[in-house]
Amino acid sequence: MPVLHRRFLLGASAALLLGRAAQAEPAKGEPITMGVSGPLTGPNAQYGAQWKQGFDLALEEINTDGGIKGRPLAYVFEDTQSDPRQSVAVAQKFVANPKIVVELGDFASPASMAASPIYQRGKLVQFGFTNSHPDFTKGGDYMWSNSVSQADEQPLSAAYAVKRLGLKRIAVLHLNTDWGRTSKDVFVKTAKELGAEIVATEGYLPDEKDFRSTIVRVRDAKPDGVMLMSYYSDAALICRQLKQAGLTLPIVAASSVFSPKFIELGGDAVEGVHTASRYFPDDPRPQVRNFVTKFKAKYGKDPDAFNAYAYDTIMVMAKVMREFGTDRKSIHDGLAKVKDVPSIIFGKATFDPRTRRVDGAMSVELVVKDGKFQLNEPQAAVR
Amino acid sequence: MSSWIDYTVNGIIIGNIYALLAVGLALIFGVSRLINFAHGSVYVVGAYAGFLAVTHLGTPLPVTIVIVLVVGALLGLVIERFGLRPLQGYAHIAPLLATIGISFVLDQLVQLFFTPDPRAVPSSLLEVRFQIGSGTIGALDLVIAGIGLASAGLLYYFLRFTRLGWAVRATAQDRDAAQQMGVDVDAVNRTVFAIASGLGAVSGLLVGMYYNYIDPSMSFQATLKGVVAQVVGGVGNVPGAIVGSLLLGLVESYGIALFGTSYRNLFAFVLLVIVLVWRPNGLFASKRQTPPEPMTGTFIAPSKPVQIPGKVLVGAAVVAALLPLVFPHPYVLQTLTNSWLYALLGLSLTLIAGTVGLVSLGHAGLLAIGGYASALLAINCGVPVGLAILSAGLIAALLGTLMAFPAFRLRGHYLSIATLAIGEIVSLVILNWEWLTRGPIGLSGIPPLSLFGIELDTDRSIYWFTLAVLVVLAALQFRLLGSHLGRVLRAVRDDDVAARSYGIGLNRYKALAFAVGSFAAGISGGITSHLYSYINHETFNAQLSILALTIVILGGMGNVTGAIVGSILLVGLPEVFRVAAEYRVLIYGLVLLLLVRFRPQGLLGTV
Repeated sequence: MPVLHRRFLLGASAALLLGRAAQAEPAKGEPITMGVSGPLTGPNAQYGAQWKQGFDLALEEINTDGGIKGRPLAYVFEDTQSDPRQSVAVAQKFVANPKIVVELGDFASPASMAASPIYQRGKLVQFGFTNSHPDFTKGGDYMWSNSVSQADEQPLSAAYAVKRLGLKRIAVLHLNTDWGRTSKDVFVKTAKELGAEIVATEGYLPDEKDFRSTIVRVRDAKPDGVMLMSYYSDAALICRQLKQAGLTLPIVAASSVFSPKFIELGGDAVEGVHTASRYFPDDPRPQVRNFVTKFKAKYGKDPDAFNAYAYDTIMVMAKVMREFGTDRKSIHDGLAKVKDVPSIIFGKATFDPRTRRVDGAMSVELVVKDGKFQLNEPQAAVR
Repeated sequence: MSSWIDYTVNGIIIGNIYALLAVGLALIFGVSRLINFAHGSVYVVGAYAGFLAVTHLGTPLPVTIVIVLVVGALLGLVIERFGLRPLQGYAHIAPLLATIGISFVLDQLVQLFFTPDPRAVPSSLLEVRFQIGSGTIGALDLVIAGIGLASAGLLYYFLRFTRLGWAVRATAQDRDAAQQMGVDVDAVNRTVFAIASGLGAVSGLLVGMYYNYIDPSMSFQATLKGVVAQVVGGVGNVPGAIVGSLLLGLVESYGIALFGTSYRNLFAFVLLVIVLVWRPNGLFASKRQTPPEPMTGTFIAPSKPVQIPGKVLVGAAVVAALLPLVFPHPYVLQTLTNSWLYALLGLSLTLIAGTVGLVSLGHAGLLAIGGYASALLAINCGVPVGLAILSAGLIAALLGTLMAFPAFRLRGHYLSIATLAIGEIVSLVILNWEWLTRGPIGLSGIPPLSLFGIELDTDRSIYWFTLAVLVVLAALQFRLLGSHLGRVLRAVRDDDVAARSYGIGLNRYKALAFAVGSFAAGISGGITSHLYSYINHETFNAQLSILALTIVILGGMGNVTGAIVGSILLVGLPEVFRVAAEYRVLIYGLVLLLLVRFRPQGLLGTV
């Protein structure tokens, strides 16, 4: 029998002992356990650390508010280094452990999708909340995702770049991964439909740090704007090197740059970078206000996109379990039935039972100004 | 035209950065005949030491550099004293494994202390930029170039004109002779590790400032590029390492200019293979300097293998086969299934590296070829899965041998680095050959394992299937080793001159062994792709090649049982240490170090 990580369970119960008086009684008793498969060590460890922050915040909120029908909600985090060899072993471990009612993760597609056949056979929901790969939920009816699909996000970025900023000749730099590639393809298609020309596309590997020669290539294509399909760390590197090369073009970046780290790493080189994000720190929506305030109080910094995905995911799970039950089958069936879960990313999330995904991500157009992400005035949040 | 000036300048700037790493690697190699896989980790430690100094003490740049230099040098002394000195006198393969273990430990310590989040390293230099061509270079570029040149100059002076420098060179030429002449070889080793690690740490700091970015996982890439650069220049050759680095930077930059960013590394590695095939001892190997790269034989520890009676082996196989009936826990079965798959990879590498002496660092490439071949045959041509896996083995055997053939004339470390490059080339070709492989999107919906129309969809059936494949291939390899052919292969490993004078066609036997070995790796990759149902170019990455080598060294080179035991340990230990959460990789690294320390010839010894 796999041993539960007592640390996490203790952490969860400590959190609820310390919790302030809330609407309902704090949860107690046998916890309801979710399995998390993700990177805590290895090259992607930073993303696993961000997941944890989002999870812990959401659990604190849920467990001080009665938990799931009086029982606390908890998770067991198994480190896989986002490596398929380890994610399949962890999948077997979770499937065989009757205490695990749902699985969350993994991070990168090769690790997540390699484990899918095992979750499908074991009839345990694999909830891939960062898995935007178009084929992820095609692995079977136990694969669900609330990750923003690129078919959904990139048209918004394209509209921002072409319609709002009036770019006509765009150069696209993208991470050469399944995510970056899919994003680029959707973006290029929409941007062309909107009447812009794509003058260069350059795919780079995730561990690249030097973009000087790529930038010369971009410059020679004479673009009037640059689109980055990047995570925050590589986007910051590219922005700095664009500035050093003396290229002062409007830059639009995918929403994954939305992180305080982007500004820390990019310094004044990221001033003026645009992004179409799902939310922003001063967002007036009540659930965003609640999330941002509590996150800042707990961790002393602004939350980023990955924190928000993790937080949202726990909220979805809590609502499904409260309304439809806490066994594996009820969760699977409940995901198809749950309606309008309050969400940071979607406003209100409802799954399409056919695709097992959520459509209709929120979009706010942001720009980095004075070292902060700010609403690109004058306009209000659309949708 | 002006763009070409920019590409050239960019290439030199990047080459400059590689040079800082390559010089240290070259120094260590020159004296210890060791590719130091922990060099990238020293670079990371240097970057974080600099980060602490700048952000917490607010030190100005020169002071920061001195602090980092000292930290790096001290770390180098510690690595030399506790990681490598105890292994002196053993074959070179044991310290190689030790440096891999040290790098796990160091990377993990940095990650535990500083969290995995990337950090910004503010540079205290003025933001002055000079126009060159149509681009600009900054003050930091000049500082990096200056430090690179200055350290090369100081090294030259040190090696040429000081007594200790003479001792270093004498030790590099002939360790035993130097010792007989009264040179304190240990002191030389210490000095070299301190200098090289100090340089490595400073380069981490400078690169961190240059990009305003450091994170604990940047060590592997740093080691990789540094090793490539120094091998292009000729291993162990300090000026060669600098020229090699500049060349590497230029080729990458021109590669981007001509074909686009996604071809960058492809060009670097193709350059490396061409250089090695054209000049098998690096670009600048002079006749005078030829320190004979160890004859293939001395690379491998001679030892008496642990004799395990046949009955015990058969008994172990029977116990393994019965396990699912008595203890059907799916997690344990899955972990063992993974072990069997990696044992197949181990069989492959132990034959190629252990029995014939071709230490390959690119074995993941063979897995990838097998995986993609089997998946594509099954998806695109509707080939039944069993047949597809078999064909994948054959395709891997054919392609693997063809690709490695030009490298057969290389020896020792040069061959290892050439295969490392070939492995990377396979992965990059898969990434860029989009109409066939779907590039980064990868292959999804790979049909599950089935045999003669029966789907293997339970944990037990998959376990038995992989175990059966392993037992069959292991039995064949035992037969091979015991046969006349096996003795010929070992003769090629132990003394290729003697073997040739007996009329043995070296290349044919090497190719034969490579083909047999690649077949097992291809089968392993094929089965893996059907188990995973999704693969892309990252599924079989360079870290897997390192894992394969670790399995083989740990088990004992050329030892079939050793490969299986090594695989069970290295796949199983990280699972066993799961209770330690974030600390498990640290523990894994320490255990690896202890195993090398007490069994440098491998657990079951070389066959």
